[in-house]
Amino acid sequence: MTGVHDLGGSPGGPIDKSQHEVEDWERLADAVTIVLDKKGLKTTDEHRRAQESLPPEVYRELSYYERWVAATELLLVEKGVLTREEIDAKAEELEESWGER
Amino acid sequence: MRFKPGDRVRVHAEAKPGHVRTPGYVRGKEGRVEAVLGEFRNPESLAYGDPGLPERPLYKVSFRQEDLWEGYPGPPDDTLSVDIYEHWLEPAREETP
Amino acid sequence: MSDNDHDNGHGHAHEEHEAGYYARRIRAMEELLIEKGVLTEEEVRRQIEYMEARSRANGARLVARAWVDPEFKARLLSDTKAAAMVLGIDASGPVEFVVVENTPQAHNLIVCTLCSCYPRAILGRPPDWYKSLNYRSRAVREPRAVMREFGFEPPDGVEIMVHDSTADVRYMVLPMRPPGTEDMGEEELAELVTRDSLIGVSPPREPARVG
Repeated sequence: MTGVHDLGGSPGGPIDKSQHEVEDWERLADAVTIVLDKKGLKTTDEHRRAQESLPPEVYRELSYYERWVAATELLLVEKGVLTREEIDAKAEELEESWGER
Repeated sequence: MRFKPGDRVRVHAEAKPGHVRTPGYVRGKEGRVEAVLGEFRNPESLAYGDPGLPERPLYKVSFRQEDLWEGYPGPPDDTLSVDIYEHWLEPAREETP
Repeated sequence: MSDNDHDNGHGHAHEEHEAGYYARRIRAMEELLIEKGVLTEEEVRRQIEYMEARSRANGARLVARAWVDPEFKARLLSDTKAAAMVLGIDASGPVEFVVVENTPQAHNLIVCTLCSCYPRAILGRPPDWYKSLNYRSRAVREPRAVMREFGFEPPDGVEIMVHDSTADVRYMVLPMRPPGTEDMGEEELAELVTRDSLIGVSPPREPARVG
């Protein structure tokens, strides 16, 4: 289905050639996604479909790895591996114990 | 395997619901099979947890840029190739005399 | 940090745009997955190392070897994974690779309009610009304008061939060997091969003029 992700030929602006420093959480997002793939818990195709299912404005606004994290969460919840509530709780627990914002 | 290198093919024009790997910009367009890339499982059903069988041929199909884009800003020799699964392709219509 | 309130009626939406929201999510997911025995810290660490070990350098070595060794070049073009293995680059996995050769008549450009597929198992992560919505949108429709933004204007009579990696194949460009490099060894040649030349937005470096 044509969606916001089907970008070929859409109008676009100048290419921003700046490169951000890859952050540790992004390396983690990459690795966790691939490990889940290698274990047969999700496929590349499901991962793409999950990204494509994001609301168009979210798809356009999120960075590359933010989309990956959103897709991985969506699939883990969809497949009943984790619940959103436990992820919420764990995220809060980590924030409290490490003082992360 | 329906097609071989050199065959002229047309990409199905109709959009399909769900996850597809055929970009909108080649739908309904005619191109040329450049290569048979192998046989692979169907991403359209893999995307929903289905095994995606049977495997089907994947073709490298080239298009003249002029045929894809109105007012393409480049010479007529410029091409674009897309990797397309067999079920999206049909033989190109014969030229009417 | 933007002051812009992205709240579209769901309180959650505002939180998602706070810095670090997705970082917290993935760390939480990783911890939970480890606690539940779905994966181990070791597996994650090894996968991170795997990606860190991959970079432009792998592609540059493949190209430099292909420039000096016609048999290797033929193998690189016909069985990329096997050619990579010869140089100790493990690109095994379910995706296939195809290397497309630049010639005096044709210059190749790689894009993945649908998501940013890239030959990661050889080259590692793609640059941010390759993943950008603008590149994904414009590379197929106006490749010459895109290359111009990278400072490259193909000579007259050169055909541009764009490859949209829409399926199970990942593409890499084999650039043409720059002139004036006849006396250079493989290591020196590899230094000329930029990551951008492996994608096709610009050519490899020319050798520095001496004297």
